[in-house]
Amino acid sequence: MKIYAYGIIDSKDTIDETIFGLEGASVYNISYRDIGMVVSELRQKLQEITDANVLKHEEVIEALMMKSTVLPIRFSTIFYTKEDLLSTMLFYYQDFIDNLARLRNKVEFGIKVIWPADTIKQRIVDVYHKAEHNPERIDLPIPFKEGSNVSISTESPAKTFVKEKFHEHIIEKEFQEEADRCIQVVDDYFNRIACEKKLKRLQTESLLLNASYLVDKDRQNEFKQAFEQLKNAPSDLKFLFSGPWPCYNFVTLTKKSSSVDYFMV
Amino acid sequence: MDRQIKTLQDKNSYLDLRKQERVTLLEILDRALDKGVVISGDIVISVADVDLVYLGLKVLLSSVETMERLRGAPMAGAQEEPT
Repeated sequence: MKIYAYGIIDSKDTIDETIFGLEGASVYNISYRDIGMVVSELRQKLQEITDANVLKHEEVIEALMMKSTVLPIRFSTIFYTKEDLLSTMLFYYQDFIDNLARLRNKVEFGIKVIWPADTIKQRIVDVYHKAEHNPERIDLPIPFKEGSNVSISTESPAKTFVKEKFHEHIIEKEFQEEADRCIQVVDDYFNRIACEKKLKRLQTESLLLNASYLVDKDRQNEFKQAFEQLKNAPSDLKFLFSGPWPCYNFVTLTKKSSSVDYFMV
Repeated sequence: MDRQIKTLQDKNSYLDLRKQERVTLLEILDRALDKGVVISGDIVISVADVDLVYLGLKVLLSSVETMERLRGAPMAGAQEEPT
C-alpha cells in the first residue's frame, strides 16, 4: 500500500469531514509536530496522469482550503511508507512552517494575456519603413538614415544581409520593449493589491504575459474589480482570468530534495 | 471553491461551455503538474520530473491555443468583443 499526498496543512488534527481522494479512498491527516500532510492510501503502483485524477487531486486540496491553510503538493507525489513521509516532514519542517505562515489567508489568481503579436510586429515594421523614407521626421537608429556616414549600400549582397539582420534586430528590440510597456500597464492594475507576484513574459510570441498574483482573501473582490477595469479598457489584449486557486505558484522550498542530502539530516 | 474563469467571449452555448471546462482543466493542469510542493528523490514514486515539466509546457501551449479558439478567429480589439 502506497501513500498519495495532496497537501501540507497547518493542523495536526484529524480531518472532521469525509473527503474522498484518488481511487475513492478516504483522505486523512498524518501529523508531524503542529502540522500535517494530508494523504490517502493508494493500491495502484503508479498513478496515471488522467484528467479525472488531476481534477480529484485539486478537489481534495480545495476541500482542505475551506478550513486550513494548505500548501498544495504537486500531483503524483507518492510515498512508499509512512516513515518516508515523516522523514520528509522532518526535512522540510521549517520550510513548511515558513510557507504556511506566509500563505495564510492568501489565494492565488492567474492572468494570461494574449496580444496580437503579428499585428504588433507589422506595426513596428511599417513605422520603420515609413521612417526609412522620411528619415528627418522620425528618429531612427543611424544605419537607417540615408546619407549618413554609416549608411549601408543596398548594392552589395553582404551589406544587404547585414542591413537586413540589423533591421530584424531593431524590430525584435522594439517588439520586446513594446511587450515590457504592455506588461507594465497590465501589472499596474494588480500590483498595488497583490502581496506577491510571478510574471512570466512571452513564453510564446502570442502569450504576452502569464502572471500569478498572491492576494489576501479579504482583497479578492478588489482584485476582481481591478481585472474588470483592465478588461474594459480599450486595447488589443485578450485575457484569461482565473481564480481563486490554491497557492501553487508561491510555495518556495529552500531545502533541495535529494537522496544524498536527505540521509545527511 | 467559487472559481472564476473569465475570457472575453463568455457565451452560453453548449460548445462554449465545453470549451470553458477545457480551459478550467488546463488551468488546473498548468498548476498541479509542476508547481506546489515538489518532493523528489528516492523516497517518493512520481512520474519523472522531466515528464511533468514537459507536460506542463504542453499544457501551457495547449491552453494558449484553446484560448485562441475560444476567442474566435482574427484578433480584434477587446472592446469589440461581447463580454
